Amino acid sequence: MKHIRPIMKRLAYVSLILVVFFSCKHEEEYHDIMDKIESESANYDGVSVSSEAFLDDIKTVKIYEDGHAFLIPERKSQIKSYNCTECHVKPIGELEKDGSAKKAHWDIDINHANSKTMNCATCHNTDSMDDLTSLTGQQIDFNKSYNLCSQCHTKQFEDWKGGAHGKRIGGWAPPRVSMTCVNCHNPHDPHIASKWPARFNTQKVIERE
Amino acid sequence: MSSKNKTWFSLNLGRKEKESSKSCGCGKTSGGCGSSSNSQHISNEDFDEAVIAAIGDERQKDGFDQVFDVKMDRRTAFKKLTASLAIGAGAVSTSCSMLSGDESKEKAQIDWEEQFKGNYKLMTDDEKNATVNRLVRSYQLRTGKNLNMSSKNAEDNVLFGYAFNISKCQGYMDCVSACVEENNQDRSSQMQYIRIHEMKDGKGFNFNEADDNYYHEVPAEGHFYMGTQCFHCDNPPCVDVCPVQATWREDDGLVVVDYDWCVGCRYCMAACPYDGRRFNWSKPEVPEADINKNQHYLGNRMRKKGVMEKCTFCVQRSRAGKNPACVEACPTGARIFGNLLDPNSTIRWVLENKKVFRLKEDLGTEPKFWYFMD
Repeated sequence: MKHIRPIMKRLAYVSLILVVFFSCKHEEEYHDIMDKIESESANYDGVSVSSEAFLDDIKTVKIYEDGHAFLIPERKSQIKSYNCTECHVKPIGELEKDGSAKKAHWDIDINHANSKTMNCATCHNTDSMDDLTSLTGQQIDFNKSYNLCSQCHTKQFEDWKGGAHGKRIGGWAPPRVSMTCVNCHNPHDPHIASKWPARFNTQKVIERE
Repeated sequence: MSSKNKTWFSLNLGRKEKESSKSCGCGKTSGGCGSSSNSQHISNEDFDEAVIAAIGDERQKDGFDQVFDVKMDRRTAFKKLTASLAIGAGAVSTSCSMLSGDESKEKAQIDWEEQFKGNYKLMTDDEKNATVNRLVRSYQLRTGKNLNMSSKNAEDNVLFGYAFNISKCQGYMDCVSACVEENNQDRSSQMQYIRIHEMKDGKGFNFNEADDNYYHEVPAEGHFYMGTQCFHCDNPPCVDVCPVQATWREDDGLVVVDYDWCVGCRYCMAACPYDGRRFNWSKPEVPEADINKNQHYLGNRMRKKGVMEKCTFCVQRSRAGKNPACVEACPTGARIFGNLLDPNSTIRWVLENKKVFRLKEDLGTEPKFWYFMD
């Protein structure tokens, strides 16, 4: 009886090892898709396709924000009346006093927060008209106007940097070119108006009757 | 004279004239091109007789009897009749005809090769290329217009994934429109791969009460919008049920269909838990001017009646590095597409930093289509 016991014990060990060995997952088999992505992207070394060809010659500006490096469309060349200093040679106070100049920007109605919170000078630098200004009076370049928006819209800014907010231009392949805030939102009237759907499926209505 | 009106010989231009000229047209004026030149002279009556001899009274049987009362040689008979008679006789007679031009000979050759081509999934790169070239040439011969068709394989280091922002989607349906135009979907049945469901706030994802065919100003008060399409599951049930392996998962994660291998059984349609697949009940019709000529064999090339189709994440675009048409058309930026294997991609950032979920996750289908909110 005594000499059987160690054999049984050994047998138990062997079977345990066998069970552990065979229960190990096989190659190319994953518990779920996230496991698979993680393991297959460990040795990621780029792809051969590029989205550069689909950018349609738009000018871009490279930006670095919190470890995210990507391109955004250049802005200054897209603004109709830039440079501002072509008209704004004197401070606004003097221009107003003068009264001789034609009224400009009459078509701009600020519909962005309320007048207690925001007016023209909240964003536009009255001292240096070709630039924007931060809440603390720092100069902000028109090409990097997202620095202005991100002062209040911090959550959107985080999502935008990561890529969850804001549309990509070109394609999924690198380099990443993302639209900046003002490419979709009019800074003077940022709310996007409602509209009618692009399509209505009349056949579906017939089929479901 | 009745043979002139035959419909199954669509390729035999100049067959009648051959009888009188007595010389065959393999490009030579003498020597002949074998016994085949005489073997395809079959009148209507002879053909009917051949049919009766081959499949007998099965010709009179209805669908049920045909299925349950099968003769052993039925398959052989059908093969012989459909393939050999129609294609063979047509092709041979055309290629051996003096008066049919080089074009119709080439057309016959293409039809012959198309008839007997294999499953795209099993083709080598050369065969894929040849198939695509053949289809392009066939289109040129038929319509006189050009076409660009790709057979680009899956890229290394790529696994496509998609994220959909429910709080951004406003229900404009620009994606649906762009998809139809990009993918040459049937205009007469108004086939659409994408559905946008208008759902009431505070009721969860209630697809039974959602409206996927609304037409009013959007976004509607108290509603949110959720788009569904093929989710390109990593463990796709539609692929498992296909009896002929006409649908499969490519290495970059796209679930695709070989429209020429599909037999139209619609098992995949039944197996898909997400209503991702569409069937061509009639011959798909797209006005010539609206056809997207930038095509891929597995993507938006023209389909035929009786085959399945579905979203391919616009394989003709995505494999070139572009975004699918729906992503490009969305004015809200609610749709995010990218490479799941690139640790620096925007899609990866969304998966790692937003609260994402998928539909019917418990089924284990592993869809590569995530939803998230701001």
